[in-house]
Amino acid sequence: MRVAGLTALALAALAILPLFVHSNYVLSIAISGFIFVVCAAALNLIYGFAGLLSFAQLGFWGIGGYAAAIAVVDGKLGFAASVMFAALLAAVIALVTGFPILRTNRHAFVIVTLTFALLCALVARDWISVTRGPLGIPSLPVPTFFGFAFASPTRFYYLAFAFAVLALGILYALVTSRIGLLLKAIKQNEALARSQGISPMPYKLFAFVLGAALTGMAGGIYVFHLRIVDPTFLDFYYMQTFLIFVVLGGAGSFWGVVIASALMVALPEALRFTNDLRMVIYGFVLVVAMLVMPRGIAGVFHDRRLNALRAKLA
Amino acid sequence: MTLLEIAGLSKAYRGIHAVRNTSFRVEQGTITGLIGPNGSGKTTTIDCITGFQQADAGRIRLEDRDISDLPPQRIARAGLLRTFQTVRIYDDFDLMQNLLAVTAPFADVTGWDMVLRRRRFREAHRQAARRAQEAIDLVGLTRLIDAPAAILSYGQKKLLALAATMMTNPKLVILDEPVAGVDPTRVNDIAELLRRINRSGTTFLIVEHNVEFITNLCDHVLVLDQGRLLAEGAPKAIRTDVRVLDAYLGRERQAERDPAGLQ
Repeated sequence: MRVAGLTALALAALAILPLFVHSNYVLSIAISGFIFVVCAAALNLIYGFAGLLSFAQLGFWGIGGYAAAIAVVDGKLGFAASVMFAALLAAVIALVTGFPILRTNRHAFVIVTLTFALLCALVARDWISVTRGPLGIPSLPVPTFFGFAFASPTRFYYLAFAFAVLALGILYALVTSRIGLLLKAIKQNEALARSQGISPMPYKLFAFVLGAALTGMAGGIYVFHLRIVDPTFLDFYYMQTFLIFVVLGGAGSFWGVVIASALMVALPEALRFTNDLRMVIYGFVLVVAMLVMPRGIAGVFHDRRLNALRAKLA
Repeated sequence: MTLLEIAGLSKAYRGIHAVRNTSFRVEQGTITGLIGPNGSGKTTTIDCITGFQQADAGRIRLEDRDISDLPPQRIARAGLLRTFQTVRIYDDFDLMQNLLAVTAPFADVTGWDMVLRRRRFREAHRQAARRAQEAIDLVGLTRLIDAPAAILSYGQKKLLALAATMMTNPKLVILDEPVAGVDPTRVNDIAELLRRINRSGTTFLIVEHNVEFITNLCDHVLVLDQGRLLAEGAPKAIRTDVRVLDAYLGRERQAERDPAGLQ
């Protein structure tokens, strides 16, 4: 109940934010935040719930970005169709690559997915006939949806906001369902899960494909915000951002990751008072946070509950 | 009636023959014990039966179904459940969640039913929760039902693992060392509990080191030695079988005859 109230309050505040904030810069930060929180939540599904540290998210982000840009420029598709195409392409690639990748063990999985992401970056740079190479695809059109143009930052803000609410809503319904429970069961003890009749592969593959689709869709929308896509879209900066949100929030906790995302989007901006030390302080905060709460924000609450229980039972 | 039939089972690891051409049966409705010295192939045998190891040769039948080549999850769904020697539970889940993770009560529920919380899911969930409550009551962990399983003692974790096998009506449950590491004062309680579950229709195959526990509890005992079936029979006969004593208690008997170790 308290969670529902707080969520409603946060949603209301975000819905009216553009009425009070007219700075394009702040709105642009918020737009990035909406897009990134979806990617972090998608990574959380794969890493936090299914227990698979997937660096392939960066690849799906890039595939989504390029797919949407190419669809709208070369394919003459509309904005919505391009974004759907981005999600679909990422999902199909995840489905085809996921089956062999998910058969590897956890360490090999990390390396293979990292290689996949690097490969995507290479393709973006070197498959010039399709991706235009290092120059990228500039001057993407203003996204229009049923004749409505998301031309101003305020309008794009609402577009990103709606996307985030929708995507997080889907993920929330999923991870709080029995499927979320089974994913966590597989993550904790795969042999036990199998001995109880759970087939791990379909669940892992499902998490991998859905995570890829949402990340691809997020990338597809984000290129319309940047109005250009080039190989820097596959910079490791994005992967690192998603991973920081997840680890800091607490892998496997939906709300932990959402809260950490909000905090970490705001933090670099709150530190703007000192341009020289800004990133130094940001890094320092990260290190201290990981030292004090090694399992993230959610881990702190979990440990507290555990200690209270132990005290009660002792 | 034969419930489980093992015929010519063999398994080697890099040339070491853990199980060699072993055949035995588990009869419906019994509590069958499987004993043997360390390294006699007990755990390998049940890993092969439950699909966690692929046997080199041999067939395994559950009732009239050949389960030799099925993966563990399919064998579980066919009605053969197991526990593990080094106890396995979901540490991050509470006791209720541990039991609700078992798939059997949700066999007819689809993924969409789960995500959309449709009635078919809610009905299955309600029944599973009731059943989990009963299982937890039966193993005596009621007080801890909302606690994360991580805070349980080793013996309590074994009881929780046992409770998980009671979430369905399995044809056969294989227990790998159910009382090893359990508080000795609780061992009789567990034997009594297993008898009760057995009376309600569950067949057990129990691997144990505790020979007294096995001979008191079981209707039929199988003895493995060096990967072979050495002897089988009623507990009384096994206790006095010379081959068994030599293989299983050989060292102690040696010590009895020659306490100072002079020979």
